[in-house]
Amino acid sequence: MAVSPARPISSRRLRAGWRTRLFAYLLVAPVVLLIVGLVAYPFLFAIWVSFTDMVVGSVGQFVGFKNFQYLAGTATFWSAIWNTVTIVLVSDVLKLGLGLGLALLVHQHLPGRGLFRSFLMLPWAMPAFVAFLTWRVLYQPIGGGFNLILTQTGIHNGIIDFLGQRSTAMASVIAASVWRGFPFWFVSILAALQSVPRELHEAAIVDGANTWQRFWNVTLPGIMPVIIVTTLLSSIWTANGFEHVWLLTAGGPSDATMVFPVLAYYGMQTQRIGEAAAVSVYMLPVLGILVIFATSLMMRREE
Amino acid sequence: MTEARNPHGWTRRRVLATAASGVALAATSGFPMPAIAQSKKLTYWGGLIFSEEANALLTDTIMAWGAANGVETEVVMINQNETVQKVSAAVSSNTMPDALDVGLDLLLLLSRQGVFSTVDDLYKKIGDAHGGWFEGTDSATDTSAVAGGRTGIPFGVNGNLLLRRKDLLEPAGFAEAPKTWEELVTQAMAVNKSPVSGLGLALSSVGDANVQVNVLQSYGGRIADDAGKMVTIKSEATRTYLTWLKDAWDKGLFSPGSTSWDGAGDNQAYLSGQAAFIANPGSVGIAAKKDDPELFEASAFSPLPAGPMGQVSPITPQTRAITAASPMQDEAKALIEHLAQPEFMNAYFNVAIYGPVLKAQEKLQAFDGSNSILVGLLGLAQNGTAPAAPDVYNAAWADLSSNFVIPKMCQRVVVDGWDFDRAMDEAQTQGQAIYDKY
Amino acid sequence: MTPAVATASTQRRYVMGRVVSYALLILAVLMVLFPIYWMAITSLKLPREIYRVPSLWPKTFTLDNFEKLLADGSFLLAIRNSLIVSTVVTLISVTISSFAAYSMVRFRYRFRGVIGRLILFAYLTPGSLLFIPLSIVMAQLRLGNSLVGLVLVYLTFSLPLSTWLLQGYFRGVPRELEEQGMIDGLSRFGALIRIVLPLSAPGIAAVAIFTFTGAWNELLFALVLITSDSQRTAPLALNYLITSDVLPWGPLMAGAVISSVPLMVLYFVAQRFMVAGMTEGGVKG
Repeated sequence: MAVSPARPISSRRLRAGWRTRLFAYLLVAPVVLLIVGLVAYPFLFAIWVSFTDMVVGSVGQFVGFKNFQYLAGTATFWSAIWNTVTIVLVSDVLKLGLGLGLALLVHQHLPGRGLFRSFLMLPWAMPAFVAFLTWRVLYQPIGGGFNLILTQTGIHNGIIDFLGQRSTAMASVIAASVWRGFPFWFVSILAALQSVPRELHEAAIVDGANTWQRFWNVTLPGIMPVIIVTTLLSSIWTANGFEHVWLLTAGGPSDATMVFPVLAYYGMQTQRIGEAAAVSVYMLPVLGILVIFATSLMMRREE
Repeated sequence: MTEARNPHGWTRRRVLATAASGVALAATSGFPMPAIAQSKKLTYWGGLIFSEEANALLTDTIMAWGAANGVETEVVMINQNETVQKVSAAVSSNTMPDALDVGLDLLLLLSRQGVFSTVDDLYKKIGDAHGGWFEGTDSATDTSAVAGGRTGIPFGVNGNLLLRRKDLLEPAGFAEAPKTWEELVTQAMAVNKSPVSGLGLALSSVGDANVQVNVLQSYGGRIADDAGKMVTIKSEATRTYLTWLKDAWDKGLFSPGSTSWDGAGDNQAYLSGQAAFIANPGSVGIAAKKDDPELFEASAFSPLPAGPMGQVSPITPQTRAITAASPMQDEAKALIEHLAQPEFMNAYFNVAIYGPVLKAQEKLQAFDGSNSILVGLLGLAQNGTAPAAPDVYNAAWADLSSNFVIPKMCQRVVVDGWDFDRAMDEAQTQGQAIYDKY
Repeated sequence: MTPAVATASTQRRYVMGRVVSYALLILAVLMVLFPIYWMAITSLKLPREIYRVPSLWPKTFTLDNFEKLLADGSFLLAIRNSLIVSTVVTLISVTISSFAAYSMVRFRYRFRGVIGRLILFAYLTPGSLLFIPLSIVMAQLRLGNSLVGLVLVYLTFSLPLSTWLLQGYFRGVPRELEEQGMIDGLSRFGALIRIVLPLSAPGIAAVAIFTFTGAWNELLFALVLITSDSQRTAPLALNYLITSDVLPWGPLMAGAVISSVPLMVLYFVAQRFMVAGMTEGGVKG
């Protein structure tokens, strides 16, 4: 059967009768039921609680926007906004670069690529708390892995306090977070690269396209849906991510790395669930818009 | 649902697949049975501490008691780092144990919600049987104001002691522990040479850094007034304290990294031989004794130094409490009474890092002087100050501590270079915002 | 077909390209592996040396940490529990998210967009807030302290990811192939199973990797829901090594090394499915 970019078969076929639609709904039912069943209540609970003064063990009373006002009055809150946005944006860009670059490298028919692929997934091979505790130790001023390398190779002879200074704390947290998170991008993009039909590449070569043109016109459009989804999910996870900041700096020094989830955690530690919930609810509109925007992008690309 | 389509293989396949996963699920979990009437079992959540022997001792003793008294018991050891989360979840979902070990903060908080039963009779009984309770413990654990009675039976106290490298300090001419914070700085200066830092005191947003609150108080500074409502952080006394802090910082005495340490930071610095003084409740001593005897021999414990206005050395009592909703009230009380017996407590003290709570315990073999950590803890139990003293220990105080307002003030001064007034103002405003919530 | 003529400069560029690729890859692998290397050597050091003599190579090698950890068998039990939970979650998740993704890609129906967005809302609230209401729900379902409960919770968090990613991969499979298959007598469902899934093998492999890893490494919910030793998962067992503010680095790193082995096996196996060219075979006839 010849391969040609055929006209898509008329969508009449797809919008067939109620049976097909029922089938479609049935296929999607388990996922929806499970998620809505288990997450809807906690999600709505969290929103409700943010408007109460709930403390562990008691139901709490409705207090309107009091929690939100209290939070907006603290300097920590504003640091958190700035820091969360910074971490998400910078991490995303770095992870995209690393993930895409490495995936392209490993996509080639290099001998030993299987090994490279497996190694590059290793930042995931341990629970998050182990990974970030290790990074904390590596960042230690005296005797930490990084300082050891710097002194022993003669690159820098003093002690760098990576986590204790405002100037280096944020970069250090981002570095650790990118290390932990780039495999997600790497694996997703690699799988997407593998799914772009070779025929399209070959057709492009026949048409005289060079490597860059092939990448831009064949590869990139082919993997774009996956990139969109990956960006969306990674951004949400980084924004909601807790361990990477908590275990390295706990939001310090002097709120230099304070982010929303850590702020929420402080609320939980004082048992004031209302406040903790309010922190998360502050993030919801932004994240919600992100979801709607990205999913629209995905759905529109089908046309 | 399946009649609407008639492809050949899939109905069978689908049924098989569902059955397979169902069996897998059932097999892996021991499929949960519908609830039966609650059997007579006493569930106890013990506080998991550093010492494995202590943990095993507690578990075994409780199980033995259960066997001897015909009560089925189950002991679950809860990691102290996660107690807050587990207890919060348990309270919310009504899955609390019958009795549990709980620290003072959580006890107060939950007593306010009526989670625990009042046990004044048991408290008096145990006190009378063992020479009475220590002052500090007695006043600290009095929950009558919030719960209409006492809810926690103390079993041990811990708190910070000053740990020092006597092998470094004695050659420098300092055979005695520093008695004041000024003396501490002097001694630290004498030994402050890379890789050793004089002061391994945390200034980060972590529990260890709340020692700075005690330093502040020993200089006469107060978080709030005597009513526990108006925040008084900004004051001349606080200024004097900040002067001490900035001075020590500028002399390079604080360990690098202390501004973002986690709870283990100061201990790691000491165990790596990189700090001359740290504040520690004894855990480092035990670790050193086991893994680095050389370091243990080179160390000594002493009480926290005092400031111009006196010594502030808070004790944290650990208590046992009974869940109000539990049907095993009498059994739980009997168990707790049993756990207060000298035989068990002596064995426990010997392998844990708690100080005594009952006066009769002073005479236990554990505190006879052979173990320097325990001697220090005994001193703490006898002379230590109540948790927030001289401030009022209320929920607002706990909130302020959990938000690390004072350590943050320190960070503003040493990390961001703010002048004292600006830093004090910020702490004052934030503190008042917190106190206003209550 | 590329013309077989290779000029000298093309060949040189080709070799240069290879050299650069290898250099970059090796650099990346070194940077990725350094923390893992540190974990591994820490697990082989004596506690005193870990603190007192920090170095890039152990002065004394010891297997003490591993022995201490494996002594009573409870750690291995935790690994077994993790294996069970992660495998079940992955199997179920891949299955039902394939169904859902297929539905959302191939069909048009009114609530498609809403459903798609709805399932993503599972990620919008951080775990540190969700754990309380979730534990209430689990208690009411009587699934607290059981592996089944964990499976359910983990499914909730893996499904949105799997569904959306698989949508991305399924879109890459040409519709003509399914049409052809249905003309040849397959049902819709059969087309999904026999045509779409095999052609999306790289995507399935990726989703399996993510789901398994996520379930394997999860700590917070396991911590809150599991109370008895026998039901502990590997991260929980590791977490329990930390009992005070002095961290047991030796056993902790040893435990991390041991519990990373199943994951490494998974990665090595799964990445073999990420092979281009699956689409070729399907198109021809």
